[in-house]
Amino acid sequence: MDPWSPVSFLRCRKAGRGLQWARFVLLSFERSLLRGRLQLSRRSAYDVPFDPVRDLSWRDDSAGATAKVTLSMPQIEIDDLSKTFSVAEREGGLRAAVRSVFRRRLRKVRAVDRVNFNVDTGEIVGFLGPNGAGKTTTLKMLAGLLHPTSGTARVMGHVPWRRESDYLRKISMLMGQRSQMQWDLPALDSFLVHGAVYDIGKEDYKRTLDELVELLDLGGVLKKQVRTLSLGERMKCEICVSLLHRPAVLFLDEPTIGVDITMQARIRQFIADYNRKHGATIILTSHYMADVTALCERIIIIDHGHILFDGPLGSLSERLAPFKVIKIDLDRELDGYDLASMGEVLSINHRKVELRVPKNQAAAVTSRLLTDLPVLDLTIEDPPIEDVISTVFKQPRASSDTSDDCISDDPGGTLK
Amino acid sequence: MRRVIRALLAYLRAHIGVMLHYRGEILLWSLWGIINPAVLYAMWSSAAAGSAGGTIAGLDVRGIAAYYFGIMIVGHLTASWDVHQMGYHVRSGNLSPQLLRPLLPMWKAVSENLAYKVTTLVFVVPMWGLFAWLVQPRFDMAAWQLCLGLVALVLAAVLNFILSYTVSLVAFWATKLDAMGEIYFGLGMFLGGRLAPLEALPPPLLMAAKVLPFRWIFSFPTELLMGKTPELAEALAGITIQLVWFGSVVVVFRFFWAAAVKHYTAVSG
Amino acid sequence: MRRAIRLMLLFARVSVQNFAAYRFDFVMRLIVSAMHLVGELVAVWTIFHNTKTLNGWQWQHMLVLVGVFRIIAGGIRMSIVPNMRRVLDDIHQGTLDFVLLRPVNSQWLVSIREFVIWRVSDVVLGAAVAMYGCVKLVGHVPLIQTLIFVAMLVAGFVIVYSVWLMLATLCFWFVRIQNIEMIFWNVFEAGRYPIVIYRPWVQWVLTFVLPLAFITTFPAGALIGDPHIGVPGTAPVYALLIATGSLLLSSWFWRFGLRHYSGASA
Repeated sequence: MDPWSPVSFLRCRKAGRGLQWARFVLLSFERSLLRGRLQLSRRSAYDVPFDPVRDLSWRDDSAGATAKVTLSMPQIEIDDLSKTFSVAEREGGLRAAVRSVFRRRLRKVRAVDRVNFNVDTGEIVGFLGPNGAGKTTTLKMLAGLLHPTSGTARVMGHVPWRRESDYLRKISMLMGQRSQMQWDLPALDSFLVHGAVYDIGKEDYKRTLDELVELLDLGGVLKKQVRTLSLGERMKCEICVSLLHRPAVLFLDEPTIGVDITMQARIRQFIADYNRKHGATIILTSHYMADVTALCERIIIIDHGHILFDGPLGSLSERLAPFKVIKIDLDRELDGYDLASMGEVLSINHRKVELRVPKNQAAAVTSRLLTDLPVLDLTIEDPPIEDVISTVFKQPRASSDTSDDCISDDPGGTLK
Repeated sequence: MRRVIRALLAYLRAHIGVMLHYRGEILLWSLWGIINPAVLYAMWSSAAAGSAGGTIAGLDVRGIAAYYFGIMIVGHLTASWDVHQMGYHVRSGNLSPQLLRPLLPMWKAVSENLAYKVTTLVFVVPMWGLFAWLVQPRFDMAAWQLCLGLVALVLAAVLNFILSYTVSLVAFWATKLDAMGEIYFGLGMFLGGRLAPLEALPPPLLMAAKVLPFRWIFSFPTELLMGKTPELAEALAGITIQLVWFGSVVVVFRFFWAAAVKHYTAVSG
Repeated sequence: MRRAIRLMLLFARVSVQNFAAYRFDFVMRLIVSAMHLVGELVAVWTIFHNTKTLNGWQWQHMLVLVGVFRIIAGGIRMSIVPNMRRVLDDIHQGTLDFVLLRPVNSQWLVSIREFVIWRVSDVVLGAAVAMYGCVKLVGHVPLIQTLIFVAMLVAGFVIVYSVWLMLATLCFWFVRIQNIEMIFWNVFEAGRYPIVIYRPWVQWVLTFVLPLAFITTFPAGALIGDPHIGVPGTAPVYALLIATGSLLLSSWFWRFGLRHYSGASA
């Protein structure tokens, strides 16, 4: 609630309106100050070092853009962002159908629950989570498509859901499940329309289009109707159209969904190249681990609207699954050798054995195995990242009254 | 036959559920059947005031009201839309899974049709009542006219269904000809007694109307229900003609259906 | 402002360039459209086979009305219907988000994206029929009345646009109703005939509550210029007021709907 708006003044209905309003303004200041202080004690590894000016001044939406655009300022700041939906629900069957005509049942769903993180310019952040975790909702709030129920966010100094023209020109969102192109027209027409809508100058348009067509290998595709394109070609066109206006921030919602493996790799390569060349900040959601491992140095794991992890990919496995998986091929059967004492046996398949041991014991166990057994082949691997992440989702969560269960990566921080 | 009835009942339950779910849309579709006759009533009453004898086709204002009240009911209860949608079903391949079943797709269409009429009764009957209250139609039919009229109404609904379904089979060959529905509908409007009572039609149209089956779908049941058919013999003759038309169309349907399926499975499947 | 107009022209140009891809469909629909006109003329023939006048409206007046109805229907199907249907599609499929991402006024963008150019044939045919009726009546086409006529057509068109936009906005709440446009067509049906045929209270409703009279009857009356057919001489002034008012109302409602869609507290 904006204390400076005339609406809030008018809402102080009691006598002594001026006094009421002044109290309200003071309370808002107080709340923001408290929030600012709390912010200090919970930082992720990707937060910039403590900046007294930024951290001690209040972050109140109404005070206008106090953003001093210095390099230490994160490009995207999200603070306690929440979004709750009301969903109508109904059981199956004829009787329930008739009953629902007279009485509708609504259920409140917390899609996003007090999410906090910051992103710097040029970062590629991967947003992981099961279906319904709140990834797309968060992206939509950052793109300005949804108003949050509470909390604030700032992208490049703008409040996204104000949908200022300047802001919309600097961002782009790609939704892998939905197409933004005209179905019955050639792709080139959709590009032209996009150029006109974003008011891109003729030379800029031509230059950007040529570059993108070359990088994405769209040569023969442009003149064909979008309807007739294969999924991979269409996805490339979608990427092209979303980059025509050279956005500074890209929101990619499942960009490679449904696309075949070779094309996925090509798209990933393109995204990485684009980020390197133009320094665009990219927030990417995906179901495919390969997308995340190939592109993102930092991942954020979200489930049921809470952030469960925020940090570099490597440290996720370090922190949560400090194990190694040892796979050995034997020359003969095990013959009652006690593998279980060495570590957790994952699988025994004739002469192939998979064993999981804590990291610090890996070397010792390996040398024991090599001594004791006739080993033909041996590999030591990190556990697959999918397993690690499913473990994250299976972790019991603290009650939702406490602050979010964030596994932050700062040394000396608390691991919940 | 028992298998067909069992399937029909099962489809009916499913379709009624769907219709309840989409009750908003269904209501909007059925509104046209109320508004169009009401508008035409207003127009013809106005025309009656400006005409030579104050009547149109022998009907005064209250008679016109009765006629269009009847048309509202008959039009709604004989409604059938397959002729508009067959082209779409054929093109989109929706028919293929239906053709796999050991049951004519037509029965699914029948149950959808019945489900629509059953679920919309709740909406339209009050609106019919409202219309009648506003325009004060003259109800002077005898009991036998009412009874036979209901029989004629059921026959008309069945006839309209099978006729429009047969006509819609054209879509198997000319898949883009969505206009077939419009043409069929237009013929029913002009030559079936919906736009104007038959005697009000100019002679060339009247001649065409006498030959085509549409008058037996709309005009005949309406006139019978509203008491415009004074002779029992005439009414029975009319019902007989309805039955004859129905029988003929069924024969034509069976022939065309076999041909249509053959064509479909040869071309796309 | 200039950019907005340029954008609209670009969309129009793009759809004109591409309609050749659907030649067969175009011919079929042209035929259906002509059939409708023939049907309407047959209806006029049938009516005046039985009577001399409809509350003051003779067959020449009715021809003008048929022409006006065709012009408005053609205009609606040329630009309003395709755009509004696309808005409904977008709401159902979630692609309205892409509209909201653009740095362009969303109401303007959703209103100009589609353009079915061949529907201009309806407008031309309708104008021809209306002119014919007028000529049959007074022997020539009067200039001043034609100008007022065109102005009233534009006002009527704006009213129709506003109604359609409000219906489309309703879809934000009634997401499941895919044929919400039927509300419009059902009421529009009553505009086929001059509103004088209805009872006084219905006429009042169709003038001040659902301004159907301003869409078909009054523009036809403006061209005919005959004071005895129940069209008040002050109609153009009212038309201007109602058109402006409905445009403001529908724009406000669209913004209101968007706030609901994006979850802002209303």
